[in-house]
Amino acid sequence: MFVSERMAKNLITAGPDMTIFEAKTIMAEKGFRHLPIVDSAGKLIGIVSDRDIRAAMPSTLLKKADYEITLAKIMNFPVEDIMTKDPLTIYAYYTIQDTLLVMQKKKVGALPVIDQEGYLKGLLSVRDLLRSFVSVLNIDEPGCLLCIVVNAKEKTGQMKKIVDIITEERIALGSILVARAWDNNKRAIFPYLLTNNIINVKKKLIANGFELIDPMQWYLDHQQPQKAE
Amino acid sequence: MLGWMHCDRVQVQIRDVGLGRSRKIVIEKQENLMKRTGFVYDERYLLHDTGIYHPESPERLKTIFKWLEDSGMLSQLTRIEATKANQRWIETVHNIHYIMRFDEACISGLNEFEHPDNGICRDSYDTAFLAVGGVLKAIDAVMKGEIDNAFCAVRPPGHHAEADKPMGFCYFNNVAIGARYLQKEYGIERVGIIDFDVHHGNGTQHIFDRDPSVFYYSIHEHPSFAYPGTGREFEAGLGEGEGYTVNSPVLPGRGDDEYKRLIMQDLVPAFKKFNPEFILLSAGFDAHESDMMSGTNLSTEGYDFISEVIMNLVNRCSGGRVVSVLEGGYNLDILPLLVENHIRFLADLK
Repeated sequence: MFVSERMAKNLITAGPDMTIFEAKTIMAEKGFRHLPIVDSAGKLIGIVSDRDIRAAMPSTLLKKADYEITLAKIMNFPVEDIMTKDPLTIYAYYTIQDTLLVMQKKKVGALPVIDQEGYLKGLLSVRDLLRSFVSVLNIDEPGCLLCIVVNAKEKTGQMKKIVDIITEERIALGSILVARAWDNNKRAIFPYLLTNNIINVKKKLIANGFELIDPMQWYLDHQQPQKAE
Repeated sequence: MLGWMHCDRVQVQIRDVGLGRSRKIVIEKQENLMKRTGFVYDERYLLHDTGIYHPESPERLKTIFKWLEDSGMLSQLTRIEATKANQRWIETVHNIHYIMRFDEACISGLNEFEHPDNGICRDSYDTAFLAVGGVLKAIDAVMKGEIDNAFCAVRPPGHHAEADKPMGFCYFNNVAIGARYLQKEYGIERVGIIDFDVHHGNGTQHIFDRDPSVFYYSIHEHPSFAYPGTGREFEAGLGEGEGYTVNSPVLPGRGDDEYKRLIMQDLVPAFKKFNPEFILLSAGFDAHESDMMSGTNLSTEGYDFISEVIMNLVNRCSGGRVVSVLEGGYNLDILPLLVENHIRFLADLK
């Protein structure tokens, strides 16, 4: 999963001399929250977020007349004055995993994607990440979730066994999640199966010695130690 | 008054009892006359062969039929012969190209239709027509006053079937077609659909998403865990149909109490307000604790509760008019009992 597959490519950008008024209007009309600022050659020089614009607005506590006078003064300033200069950027060949970690650590809502020369290539927002997660988990396709508990101390190869059984039943796999931080001796494996026909695969898993539990049971067990603290 | 009361509907006396701030309403049935309940079943429903080890098997209906015969229940019901539906009724819901694709898949001897879940054989197409036809005949009989209500032991089931896509063992959406039939053939304006199969009826919901004349209520296992992954609380209809779809997802393992809470909170007030003139049921018995298809843990008594609440609604809103259509239910040891219990409520034999 690479940034290039998930980033928005048809971007609306602005030059540094666009007024705050124009920028605010465009963002409101198009419904996006980040406006990359580029120079005349197309190189990225900054980014304006809806929060930057809000911060520049006069206080709504001002009297109406005062508010409008102040607003009129502000609206004609160029976006250059409020943009984040030299913002954090990523490259199109970064993975979605890289981006997740960057966004989590740096607490940003969107990252401009540039090439080696600094030209703007795209923008990856939290919304794009959400979309890529829905797609990678395959939860927009019909299916059901199993919860299999395996003993972590047992010899390796249990995942293979599980996948083999699912494959033998000719069931397409949407995704598999593994929960590790639960019980030191146990792992919970959650295969998302793209089928309604789960009785046979459940029976086969049980016959092969796997413990199937209700996913809610896992959740409740998981919650217990935290409540005790 | 002594003896049977000779009227079609049970008379209900409502008495208000003042109990401080809360008021308790006591409903007493004065006399109980068994309802005339129709039963749709046809041996040709067994011809739809989904393949070896498929849970949606002909055995399901065979077991139900034999059980009802042995228990004597069958003799108390009005048998309704199924006939193949006229395709024009199926076209009120399904895309003509989809119907043709289904026909072709069966004719050419394929053993699945567009997904490995949907096992088919050469007879599946005709059987699906017969399933729809059975439901329409039951509707006819109720509308003509020949019976009060009916249970349709049909297969293939229908509530996952989309306008142009088979899903989850379903090909034609029997209940959705029934709703359209009621509107077009009998001028019924408001149809209420209650779907208590453990899976969300994605097909039915999507078909009536934008339609305020058909209210779709579904209670099912939460979509993060169970097929088909739709039916969240925030799916509540679109456009003009907003507010005419209500979903009650049940987290795994929650069982009877959660079902009771959600039904009283979500279904009952919504249907009282919508006041449907006819109620159709997507009756699935796979939420039972012994059915490996799901994890909702509903008990046999929990199913009785659902049937009872539904019949109260039916008597109150739709003048007793209800047609119940079989959807899922895969544990053959419990399915026939659950069906019998459900029919007891329809026939007012409890």
